[in-house]
Amino acid sequence: MDMKRGYYEDVQLVTSPVVFFWLVVLLVTLLLFPFVVSNYYVYVANYIAINIIVAAGLNLLVGYTGQISLGHAGFFAIGAYGTVILMAKAGMPFLLALPCAGLVAAGFGFLLGLPALRLEGPYLAIATLGFGLTITQVIGRMTLFGGREGLHAPDLVIGPWAVDTDRQFYFLLIGMTVLLLLGMRSLIKTRVGRAFIAIRDADIAAQTMGVNIVFYKTLAFAVSAFYAGIGGGLYAFVLRFIEPEIFTLMMSIMFLAMVVVGGLGSLMGPVVGAGLLCWLDLKLRNILNIPFLGDWLETLSRSWFSITGVSNIQYIVFGSIMVAIMLFEPLGLYGVWLRTKQYWRTWPF
Amino acid sequence: MKKGVMVLGCMVFLLVFTAFAWAEEGVTGTEIHIGQWGPQTGPAAAWGSVARGTGDYFKWINETGGIHGRKIVYHMFDDGYNPAKTLAGVKDLQENTGIFAWASGVGTSPGLAVKDYLMERKIPWVGPAAGSLHWVSPPHKYLFAVYPLYYNEARALVRYAVEEMGKKKVAVAYLNDEYGKNGLRGAIEELARHGMEVVAQVPVEQSDSDMKPHVMQLRKSDADMVLLWTTVSHAVRIVGTAKAMNFAPQFMSTSTCSDFPLMNHISKGLWEGVICATFGELPDSDHPKMQQYKKEVFEQFAAKEERWGMFYAAGIIFIEPMVEALKNAGPDLTREKFVEEMEKLTGFKGVGPEINFKPFDPEDMYSRQGTRQTFLVKSLADGKAERLTDWITLD
Repeated sequence: MDMKRGYYEDVQLVTSPVVFFWLVVLLVTLLLFPFVVSNYYVYVANYIAINIIVAAGLNLLVGYTGQISLGHAGFFAIGAYGTVILMAKAGMPFLLALPCAGLVAAGFGFLLGLPALRLEGPYLAIATLGFGLTITQVIGRMTLFGGREGLHAPDLVIGPWAVDTDRQFYFLLIGMTVLLLLGMRSLIKTRVGRAFIAIRDADIAAQTMGVNIVFYKTLAFAVSAFYAGIGGGLYAFVLRFIEPEIFTLMMSIMFLAMVVVGGLGSLMGPVVGAGLLCWLDLKLRNILNIPFLGDWLETLSRSWFSITGVSNIQYIVFGSIMVAIMLFEPLGLYGVWLRTKQYWRTWPF
Repeated sequence: MKKGVMVLGCMVFLLVFTAFAWAEEGVTGTEIHIGQWGPQTGPAAAWGSVARGTGDYFKWINETGGIHGRKIVYHMFDDGYNPAKTLAGVKDLQENTGIFAWASGVGTSPGLAVKDYLMERKIPWVGPAAGSLHWVSPPHKYLFAVYPLYYNEARALVRYAVEEMGKKKVAVAYLNDEYGKNGLRGAIEELARHGMEVVAQVPVEQSDSDMKPHVMQLRKSDADMVLLWTTVSHAVRIVGTAKAMNFAPQFMSTSTCSDFPLMNHISKGLWEGVICATFGELPDSDHPKMQQYKKEVFEQFAAKEERWGMFYAAGIIFIEPMVEALKNAGPDLTREKFVEEMEKLTGFKGVGPEINFKPFDPEDMYSRQGTRQTFLVKSLADGKAERLTDWITLD
């Protein structure tokens, strides 16, 4: 039943009534979600959605093309600043400013892709790391970008629609996330995506088969940066205030962790990875509310760690979960899903 | 009969319901919920003791009877100095727990990320732990600042240098951000009043690590007083580099660098002789109230590795006015009443500067900037401090 006879079938979204049914269920759930939960969870969903966009872009680079980037906070910053400045200083509407800022980020991604042609592994990691750190330094020194004082995001108005609550922003954000993910899917499953994968698996072999490495490697960087830029532009409106200090190295590392924990080289990987890590990052402090265990952890951390104790425990648990996932499921969370699917497909054998 | 029970039930339900509807968010018959964020991890973790100081202070208040029979339930969370997490944590506690008012909170960018959210919902916020102008220009009805403005600190220092010490050439090394520029502006304006000008303005970037070019510039200007409006580590490095280059002006610095035991420790004694502005009585001074806090708050409630220092004490200093207003608001506590009582605080004196608020005036930033006072201290050997002035009020 998995037999495919043409490339077009690979791109097809709805392959069977069952898939169609679940797609509808998913969409309806997404639409109803903000009406069922409290405003706080809508904010959390927004925060996760932005991270999903960035992680999906980074996954194209790391998971599909086999490159690495420790500088995605830089593209994220370019997107955030770009959108705010294009709106506030050039008077562009949001829906135009956002993709423009994404394109600016993509331009920088292309430039960063050039050294990537000659660098690999740890060397590439350091080069991209340098980029991420430099960007915030440059932004911090330019008055156009508000220097270290940062910038306030203007009011978000789309046509007659003023977006000023988390719920309204949710619909905008979810729409974009779904579109961007579908776009990513189409990219991966067509000619371009196959070229990326070929480069990942063996770049010399790919070149022999006629894949233009210069073009596709820089393209991977550019598309990846575009996604990060779009994420950044949206992030500026979640916080409504941006300054260079926000876009730290830690942010780049978290993006990478989302992709790896979620599962490299899969479409669902970044979605679950970003979801899980953001959720843990925001909610893990609640482990202290668990009866007995919470008290015990608190005493433990207070007597054996520094005075900031509790927060140490939070990060230790966070780290342990990541280590455990990598240890027991090297394919990431996506691997768990694959195995579950396989189990049911072959059941009862 | 059955109908009667139904009607009675409905009435009881309605009564209970309206009783709940009337109560203010975050206040019950026995509790007042107060929240604060404070970095316990990440780049600003050193400031984490502010939020812990506030927590111990609240424990002491609860121990000594609470406020009109209510205990303060303190919700502190670690935001790691990441504004997205600050906003998430504030929304979580505000919407799922219900916070009556927010206390202090370290950092300009975490604070700016939540400011609009709190102000739109008319939730009071007292004493952000940064002397930024962002809090009060423009002023907001529900946001009360108690940290002396960096701008005013710089003026007080320059005035002292010129009038009391007879310094003729003042140079400023400032961190190239809002914080540093506020200090620079204060210095320029105060010097202008004396018909003088800054002889050198040397910007320092967050990422700069070699201070030689900066000190070179300062030395070339032949300054006899150098104002350091930088981070703690930059300030220490400038003083160290100047020493190595035989350049010995009078150094002065902001309240951010006024934790002398800490400064002397990391500068290996070079901080001796530096004059700083400060935002509250010194933790080790013989001020009776400070001594009381040390004995009753710190020694009783602080975690065993906590240090009795300026940052920890700051967690008490910034919150004293809030507690005073809570007490004055009486047993029927509402946010409006609390704000009214905050506005009525005039000449309030705790261990911090004198606090004066006024009824809200969108044109007057001093209706929400509670203090114009600061005083100056000089660092002695071993991190001890000598008080140079009484509280200075800047007009």
